[in-house]
Amino acid sequence: MSNKTSSPSRRQFLQGTGIALSLPWLETFAAADKTPEDTPRRFLSVYHPDGVGLPLRNDPAWKDWSWFPRGGEHNFELTKVLDVLQPLRSEITIYSGLSHPAVRQVHGHSNADQYLTGAATGGHGAYQNSISLDQVYANHIGDKTRHASLVMSTNGGIGGPRGAQTQSFNAEGRAIPAMNRPKQIFDMLFITSGKKAAARLARSKSSLDLLVEHTRSLGRKLSSKDQQTLQQYLDAVRDTEVKLAKAQRWIDTPVPTVDTSNLKLDADPKEASMYFQTMYELIYLAFLSDSTRAATFQLGRENGEGPHDLLSKAVGLGGAHGLTHAVKRPEGWKNLGTYNRYQAMEFGRFVQKLKDTAEPNGEGNMLDNTFAMHGSASSSFHLSRNYPIISAGGKNMGFDNGRYLKFGSGNDDNQAGAGIDTDAGWRGKIEVEELPLAKLFVTVLQRLGVETDSFAGYSGTLERV
Amino acid sequence: MIRIRYTLLLSILSLLPVMAQDNSANTLSLEQARELGRQESRFLKTDTSNAIDTKKTPKANLTEYKKTLYPLLQKSCLACHGPDRTEGRLRVDQLDPNLLTGKHVNQWKEVYNALGNSEMPPADETEFELADTDRGLLVDWVGAELEKAYRVRKNSQDYSSFRRMTRYEYNYALQDLLGFPFDMVERLPPESASEDGFKNRSEMLQMSAMQFETSREIGLKALRRTTVHGEQPQPVVYRFALEGEMNRLTSAANAKLFNKNQDNYKQARNNNHFLNEKTGQAIHYNGGNLKPDANAMVGIAPDDSPVVLSLGAGKELKFNLDRFLPDDGIMRVRLRAARSNMNPQHFANLRLIFSAHTSNNANFSQEISQRDLPVTASAEDPEYIDFFIPLGDIQRNPFRKLETTFPRRDEFLHIRNISNGNRGSEPLAVLIDHIEISAPFYAQWPPKSHRNIFFDSPNRANEDVYAAEVLKVFMGRAWRRTVADQEVSQFVALFREFRSDFQTFEEAMQEVLATVIASPDFLYLTQTNNDDGGQRPRRISEMELATRLSFFLWSSIPDVELLATAYQGDLRKPEVLKSQIARMLSDPRANRFAEQFVAQWLGLEGLDSVTHIQDAALKDAMYEEPIAFFREVLSGNESVMNFLHSDYVVINERLAGHYRLANVYGPHFRRVPVEQGANRGGVLTHAGMLAMNSDGTDSHPLKRGIWMLERILQDPPPPPPPNVPEVDLTDPRILQMTLKERIEDHRNKPACKSCHAKIDPWGIAFENYDALGSFRTQLKSGPVDASAELFNKQQLDGITGLKQYLLLERQDQFSRAIAEKMTTYAIGRSLSFSDNADIDKIVVQFRKQGDRLGELIYVIAQSEIFNSK
Repeated sequence: MSNKTSSPSRRQFLQGTGIALSLPWLETFAAADKTPEDTPRRFLSVYHPDGVGLPLRNDPAWKDWSWFPRGGEHNFELTKVLDVLQPLRSEITIYSGLSHPAVRQVHGHSNADQYLTGAATGGHGAYQNSISLDQVYANHIGDKTRHASLVMSTNGGIGGPRGAQTQSFNAEGRAIPAMNRPKQIFDMLFITSGKKAAARLARSKSSLDLLVEHTRSLGRKLSSKDQQTLQQYLDAVRDTEVKLAKAQRWIDTPVPTVDTSNLKLDADPKEASMYFQTMYELIYLAFLSDSTRAATFQLGRENGEGPHDLLSKAVGLGGAHGLTHAVKRPEGWKNLGTYNRYQAMEFGRFVQKLKDTAEPNGEGNMLDNTFAMHGSASSSFHLSRNYPIISAGGKNMGFDNGRYLKFGSGNDDNQAGAGIDTDAGWRGKIEVEELPLAKLFVTVLQRLGVETDSFAGYSGTLERV
Repeated sequence: MIRIRYTLLLSILSLLPVMAQDNSANTLSLEQARELGRQESRFLKTDTSNAIDTKKTPKANLTEYKKTLYPLLQKSCLACHGPDRTEGRLRVDQLDPNLLTGKHVNQWKEVYNALGNSEMPPADETEFELADTDRGLLVDWVGAELEKAYRVRKNSQDYSSFRRMTRYEYNYALQDLLGFPFDMVERLPPESASEDGFKNRSEMLQMSAMQFETSREIGLKALRRTTVHGEQPQPVVYRFALEGEMNRLTSAANAKLFNKNQDNYKQARNNNHFLNEKTGQAIHYNGGNLKPDANAMVGIAPDDSPVVLSLGAGKELKFNLDRFLPDDGIMRVRLRAARSNMNPQHFANLRLIFSAHTSNNANFSQEISQRDLPVTASAEDPEYIDFFIPLGDIQRNPFRKLETTFPRRDEFLHIRNISNGNRGSEPLAVLIDHIEISAPFYAQWPPKSHRNIFFDSPNRANEDVYAAEVLKVFMGRAWRRTVADQEVSQFVALFREFRSDFQTFEEAMQEVLATVIASPDFLYLTQTNNDDGGQRPRRISEMELATRLSFFLWSSIPDVELLATAYQGDLRKPEVLKSQIARMLSDPRANRFAEQFVAQWLGLEGLDSVTHIQDAALKDAMYEEPIAFFREVLSGNESVMNFLHSDYVVINERLAGHYRLANVYGPHFRRVPVEQGANRGGVLTHAGMLAMNSDGTDSHPLKRGIWMLERILQDPPPPPPPNVPEVDLTDPRILQMTLKERIEDHRNKPACKSCHAKIDPWGIAFENYDALGSFRTQLKSGPVDASAELFNKQQLDGITGLKQYLLLERQDQFSRAIAEKMTTYAIGRSLSFSDNADIDKIVVQFRKQGDRLGELIYVIAQSEIFNSK
């Protein structure tokens, strides 16, 4: 895939202004109407397909290459897979014993679709998804920012039913296409395009003006009671006008200028490391400039060859999906663990950057006002149970980090489904108890400020979080 | 009139004990019961022409109340409905006896019903017994005062039928306006129903910014799909060369051939195969790869060929269409097909499925045909069968445009034969001799939907003039009224403003037309204050009447003929109104009336929330049965009493199996006579009603009782009081009880008694029907006990006893219930107290016409209430 960058002048602009523009951004963002109560709360979900390594306890690889930590809530010990997060230990929480109940016996390949939605998306036949966690939050907070949400993935687009290439689904359960080209994402975030959008807005405005005028003259012919009913229509039109005005305001407001020195916008998944870091950098800049408060980023797709393989190749390994099939080969667990370690490292780099940046519009650092989660809808081979999830940040929202939280029962040592490399695993009986991941989502939503007590049909929060 | 009513009631009341005594009620057939019950109707003996003296201002008769009636209430009612006990939240000592101005008129209506149905005082409370003559006095007085109150309150209207369209109406209105028969409103939020199940209530239909914006977007999208610009796009055409494919297969080295003229054909014939009808040669075939043919024209007749493709019962053909179908537009799938035999016991329907493999362990598939299409032609005279599929609306393979080959990019079309033809000695197969798939398909260019809006005109060259012409016609149709030139010019101005943003005239007009249909004139059912000389200030105009009529019978806007009739001022002429209604009811759009009214009246959505009906075909049939039954009653203009009991059912093969009725074949619904012993007939015994009012494993008398009261008798029980005690299922005493005993136990609790005694018996009479609505006489614990005793001590012996009682004594109540429900559906608003007089008048009129459903529709359409705001 080659990213055709636009004109040379654009590139010159980026290169030429990187440093020059890095100074005044703080003033730009600290707009006059912001108060400390407006400190943004942010949400990020990073998804990786193919799960993690889960060797049996008696396997020699267990000691170093089993993904889950050892030990208790506070005194846990990270294996080699996650030891890159050791410096951030007090900023992260690791979870076990969580999954979405509806697909616990569906092949893992089909389940990226429902990671953030909890829907019963099944394995075959008719398909229906539901709204994803980030979009619930985006619907709540999205009108505060230029973009309600930022949806990204390495592969881009929506993928297919049961082969999603996006984590985000709207209220009707339709997939929201993910963006995957850094340049395109950057332009959307930071370059005013808007000529077409402005014309469209102008037409909408004329159209609404005419409707209002026309409706008023209709109203004069109605009884006073019916006029009240018609008032609802006028209110709806007016609300729409307010929205248009807001959109217009964003078009009129200059886009934030940001420090682009760490951006390699022509990075391609082929240059995996650079691409990866650029995508994270774009999320960072979008958060920093308060261009959005909800973001998702999916690394690859389940069971797919594609750009994300380059991520595993970047650490000297073969295709990402192949790693999960080859765990019983020599060095198999180590290879898969090394790949997961690499993912954790990049996530950690991003978390560290948030931690190192003072909150532009509030107390503490950016990480304290950001809940960032990183996970997959499978743990062991094709097994959609015991999702491996790490979260970071959110201290100012009430998240108490530095802990390993085990939920459910009967699987204290994460041995259920461990060591499998056949489909007997996901087809197998469910013998341990896990809690619905949706309960964590309810907790997250509440702390983000969304008044809700349920998600995907599950009510109540997750205790101890 | 008051006297007449009194005597009538007494005669009904006196008739019953007699019949109960000599047990003659049990020997009555349901037909006799219906005849006898009809004779006792008080509506039939009401003369509406002189009953109401509208000139004199009525006054409340308070003297008689104080002197005679209140003492009676004190004696028989006060103990339970007074300061000491307040059953049903009613206190007779606090009832305002002035019904004309007082605030207790609804309570008085309840009192009237409870006394009239002999439900009160309770029969076992001998101490408070009310003598028949005293009951007569009370009923007459309350009845007369109610009558006066209706008149006095008539002018103080509570509800308006000014409302927006419902979601389904908006869908149909767009379809009819634009001539595009596909669903377009998926993104609109569903409507919430009123307490009695109706979705078109003005009070419930709110407008929000989201609703408005979504409607506006849908409108624009619909216009972009129905109007076009530029040259006709070149269609992708797949033309399946059957003979060539068969030759290719048969000439393969290891081809496994068989022959129609040999014995082994019997084993092979049920599987899909190519067949050369001339030679009898055959070879198995279940589908394959199709490639678009760049040179193929659309709609060219098939070549003469002896080769057919035999599609077995329940089998499917699967074709790989690769990745060449366009993103949008209509795909036409045309088959030429015939039946292999004409055995009337067998049917064959075709269904299309679309699928793709998104991963080696995942796929998706979707039924894309809106409904199954029957194959009815004989092999000698095969027929074309066309499916039209909107490609932009179905789930496509999102990987079809990848440059790489993984994930797979191809898309599959399955042709499935839904059939019972694999039974018996001579199985039925579908013989296909032609398959052509094309997209985007246009029967002509520009399409008709386009030319309806952008018609030919000498002024086409002058864009502004032509825009005004187009707008005037379109606005008139969309807004269902005459449109002022000044209104048109406002929209022409909008067009002028938009024009430079677009390359073509049509694209700019699409946005202007989208504004026309985002206006309240389209979205709302309006009723303006027209000038009619102040004679009838509440009357709607004839154009508005046309709209009301079409939303009643078509759930959509009127067509040109109806509008023209109204425009000419003829629609209110009785013979014109009658013929327009007849025309509308014979139009396919009237199916929407049957579907929507029946679903909302009976609460068919309840079927969606039960999970115990595993068989999808059975569930579909359960949903369809009452609608098909309604259609049958309507098409024959039969009596609505058929809803209580009929000597026929309207079923398909699946339901016939469920009801254990023989010789019904195929998925279509048809009338089948039944004996009384079949325990079917009428809507009460429809499996769907019984299944949705069950708890998933067994019957649920309480749900069924509430359903009876709400949907059939229009006597909804009050909501349960707060802090109602739960049935304690950990109590061993309760665990040992049968369901009926548990209900009785619950009913005997003081807090529950008064309501449950009115609800439960209605449901217990249905105990012979299980959770799927199958008839049963035995339970694990013993024989079924479906005998119930109503609050008024009436014994109901199972379903037959229930029907007999309804037909003998509740005909008036049911006919008033259905008249009220249909009227409220027809005008789209709740009824207020003052509407009662109009409803009574409707009931009298249509009962006098033999309770015929068609008459009910006509009587409603010409009623005062339907013609008023």
